[in-house]
Amino acid sequence: MSDATHSAPHKPTSRSLHAVDARTKRRNASESRFKAMGIGAIGIGLAFLVLLLSTIVVNGSSAFQQTFIDVPVYLDPAKIDKKGNRDLADLKKATTFTYAPLIQNGLLDVVQKAGLETDLSKAKELKNLISASAAAQVRDRVLADPSLIGQTIDFKILASSRVDGYLKGRVKRADIAQDKNISVAQLDLTDALRKAGVIHKGFNTAFIFGADASDSRAEQAGIGVSMLGSFYMMLVVLVLALPIGVAASIYLEEFAAKNRFTDLIEVNISNLAAVPSIVFGILGLSVFIQFAHLPQSAPLVGGLVLTLMTLPTIIISTRAALKAVPPSIRDAALGVGASKMQSVFHHVLPLAMPGILTGTIIGLAQALGETAPLLLIGMVGYVATNTPDGFIDGFVSPNSAMPAQIYEWAKRADPAFYERAWGGIIILLVFLLSMNIIAIILRRKFERRW
Amino acid sequence: MNDMTLTERAVNATENKITARNVQVYYGESHAIKDVNVDILDKTVTAFIGPSGCGKSTFLRCLNRMNDTIDICRVQGEILLDNEDIYDRRVDPVQLRAKVGMVFQKPNPFPKSIYDNVAYGPKIHGLTRNRAELDEVVEASLRKAALWNEVKDRLTAPGTGLSGGQQQRLCIARAIATSPEVLLMDEPCSALDPIATAQVEELIDELRTNFSVVIVTHSMQQAARVSQKTAFFHLGNLVEYDDTDKIFTNPTDPRTESYITGRIG
Amino acid sequence: MPVFWIFVIVLALTGAGFVMGRARALSSVDGDRRRLHSLPSYAGALVAMSAFLPALALFVLMLALNATGMILTGATLLATLIGIALSLRLISPEFRARNAVETGVRGLLIAAASVAILTTIGIVLSLVFNTVEFFNLYPIKAFFLGLNWTPSFGGGSELGILPLLWGTLYISFIALLVAVPIGLYAAVYLSEYASHPVRSAIKPLLEILAGIPTIVYGLFALLTVGPFLMSIFGPNGPTAAIAENGWMHAGTAVMTAGLVMGIMLIPFVSSLSDDIINAVPQSLRDGSYGLGATKSETIKQVILPAALPGIVGAILLAASRAIGETMIVVLGAGAAARLSLNPFDAMTTVTAKIVSQLTGDADFASPEALVAFSLAMTLFVITLGLNIFALWIVRKYREQYE
Repeated sequence: MSDATHSAPHKPTSRSLHAVDARTKRRNASESRFKAMGIGAIGIGLAFLVLLLSTIVVNGSSAFQQTFIDVPVYLDPAKIDKKGNRDLADLKKATTFTYAPLIQNGLLDVVQKAGLETDLSKAKELKNLISASAAAQVRDRVLADPSLIGQTIDFKILASSRVDGYLKGRVKRADIAQDKNISVAQLDLTDALRKAGVIHKGFNTAFIFGADASDSRAEQAGIGVSMLGSFYMMLVVLVLALPIGVAASIYLEEFAAKNRFTDLIEVNISNLAAVPSIVFGILGLSVFIQFAHLPQSAPLVGGLVLTLMTLPTIIISTRAALKAVPPSIRDAALGVGASKMQSVFHHVLPLAMPGILTGTIIGLAQALGETAPLLLIGMVGYVATNTPDGFIDGFVSPNSAMPAQIYEWAKRADPAFYERAWGGIIILLVFLLSMNIIAIILRRKFERRW
Repeated sequence: MNDMTLTERAVNATENKITARNVQVYYGESHAIKDVNVDILDKTVTAFIGPSGCGKSTFLRCLNRMNDTIDICRVQGEILLDNEDIYDRRVDPVQLRAKVGMVFQKPNPFPKSIYDNVAYGPKIHGLTRNRAELDEVVEASLRKAALWNEVKDRLTAPGTGLSGGQQQRLCIARAIATSPEVLLMDEPCSALDPIATAQVEELIDELRTNFSVVIVTHSMQQAARVSQKTAFFHLGNLVEYDDTDKIFTNPTDPRTESYITGRIG
Repeated sequence: MPVFWIFVIVLALTGAGFVMGRARALSSVDGDRRRLHSLPSYAGALVAMSAFLPALALFVLMLALNATGMILTGATLLATLIGIALSLRLISPEFRARNAVETGVRGLLIAAASVAILTTIGIVLSLVFNTVEFFNLYPIKAFFLGLNWTPSFGGGSELGILPLLWGTLYISFIALLVAVPIGLYAAVYLSEYASHPVRSAIKPLLEILAGIPTIVYGLFALLTVGPFLMSIFGPNGPTAAIAENGWMHAGTAVMTAGLVMGIMLIPFVSSLSDDIINAVPQSLRDGSYGLGATKSETIKQVILPAALPGIVGAILLAASRAIGETMIVVLGAGAAARLSLNPFDAMTTVTAKIVSQLTGDADFASPEALVAFSLAMTLFVITLGLNIFALWIVRKYREQYE
């Protein structure tokens, strides 16, 4: 113990505690700076979140409004029903090209009757105000009820996407010099018609429930059909991923012996969780489409790919839920003579169910927003215009999915589609938000502490 | 130097180092320390004994404001170090802790080299002007902690690679490297084997020449071996505080006697 | 629809099997269920399983072999009936139906767990086969060492991966440059400074960023961040004074994609680091505070060095995420393969090219399409390597404190 006899080389400093020395001041300043950096980092993170969400809302909310025109259209028998026999087969021969001028004439009538001042005196010059979809709308109405021919019917038709964009502030007078789809005179008339109440904005139901349209008719595009595609995909994911994921978790958590095979499965699951989603798209393309010849662009295939992608998430959360059930429950069941299988299925699984469901919902939410693998199995580029005929058809007939539809719109040249893309994101996020809220409620409600 | 009858040494300092008056500690709703008054002497080993949960560690942690790191902990009353209130608004706990060092129950060397472990305190407090001085402080601290001879050839080896007893002595060296005036030890031997415990106990007795040492211990034998003054805590109260000899041979309070003789605790 | 009807019939037979099995078990003991080894419903379950599972397996097998029509229907239904007949014969009072059912269920559980292995095998096989095919058409050396990426479906393509890898790494680097400091500082603040209520309010808010689909980030890059960067670094921005036409020539650029990807990765880095910082034992903090260190000194000199291996692991996981990210780069990075140092240039990545080579109208047998599989193979190997390495580091780190 001779070490201790050495005296300290430095004398204890016995300064008052009540006076903060310069060094401590410096250290405290550095402490405050560091803390400020932390707050700053969180601030930046939250600022990004706010920026992202507000960008979405600002750009997307206009998609839920659409510009309509009220036009009385004289369904001229001389044009529509040249033979005058009201025969459906003959009526079908009149294409939308026949109907378009009727609508233009109707609108010109409105303009003239209201006494609006405009340089546009010919019906044809009003064409750019009216959506190309209007003719089909009128034609469909006539084919559904040929007795209307000869009457003047009030239609609420879509305004063209330029008019819609003008009223929403997207299309500006300064930018339209090169635009052959709208002219200054037409915009003047738009303003006048708006004042007269002929052109008005309304809630855009068709955007939520409708089908996508070709890339020349942004005003008509809706996300409804691809929403159905997403719905069918999620059904596939739920029906496959939940039982398979739960079964796999039960095996790994309750039955698996510690051996090479178990290790192999574990390694596979943790690695699959980190495989880029695009690689799952490759898997879907070569295994399900090229090898198994399942139909391209089908929600069934998308669902299968997303199932494989979601499985690791579901397995990981299910195992956590099973692990949270205390061993005493298993012991109690085994103690009254239940088999291992019975103890798991009768006792452990029901207790773990809320946790499993929470994990599944979060997995589904993740799958719902996933885009990249869908690109490779043909769910993008397909214009989702048709609602599937019936339940089975929903799985196998080509369709898009919400995120794929958003991507599709983002790629189109006409900026009018961007508004749709942002609007689609709002709808997608509403779904994701509700799923997460359900998951949180489930967790809160059934949270159990042992 | 190898005299093992440590308690026979007289209490040779009478100067008060720490004075606690009417100290109350609350953890949220629970009243953990009730109205404790105690005078801790300089250059003396003071032992806090008592059954688990009696508040002795809590009180120890008040002496260098380690309780500040716990959100729900509130301290009332007055604790004076050299007649200055350490809970005064002007006191920076950082400066306080440089004066009142602490050694913990489990050895907790940083995952750094032995040298860096000891040099940590002097570095952050800026106690040395250059590397040579720092080397000197590190060596002196390790010598005082009776560890120098065992580690002098591997100062760059990680501190976590030492044995349990060595780790605890490293932590003591780390604590004394900032030249504190008081050294608080929270059951410093509870994670150690008997041989390591004996080494650390011997070291504590050495430390008394330079510091006021306060040690919390579960072991009455240890208190009897190393301390000159002993305080007995029970249910948050300071039941009895006196010379160690007196407490262990002729306690005043019946509760102390029950504890000493093993009937409570 | 025949597939659907086969399914319905098999299910109906399965239900009937259950009823028959149960009835047979009961009748074998004249209704006295106490004499049975297993509950009668286990006998029913056994028959149902024997009806359904072999039929399902056969059905899937035959579908894979492209069998259709009567053969498919007949074979499946026959398998169902044989399953019922064989299992019904087994039932007797002594028969251990529960054990048999449990063995079957156990088999199902193992099969479910094996899906993970099958998926990996599926991925590897589909990548390897097509990659080999590609290298039959295109020299392997030119692919890995080529400096040019100029696919043309008319032939004479140059398909060098290096410019794509460069773009991928450059974008990932910028993403990490954004995400790591912000994520790390946020994690440190949340775990060391924030009070419990603040922590439980901020953490989920930040994690919203991780829950937002990547398509949203892609759109954000393309329509918001790109134009914003253009207004600063583009031909009409302040940098035009320094460089002719400014530094940036289009909204899609390495910087656009990297910045947005960085935002996406902030919560990824912060929650992983948060877990890792929390795993540092409290005793080390106490030791440091007990010596009079301030919080920031403790963090910088004790906690972060102690957590370093784990944090490196977290950063590697984030890097692997960035390298494999698709939607942000498809929409935000540009389409031109370019080996450039200017972060405001448009570049493209491995993932973006996988998409573009497989979504065109290309013939799947052409090297221009097959190259996507070699790109995916490279991507798979890189991300897998990074992940295994990162998980290994993190595991080692956790073991240290357990």
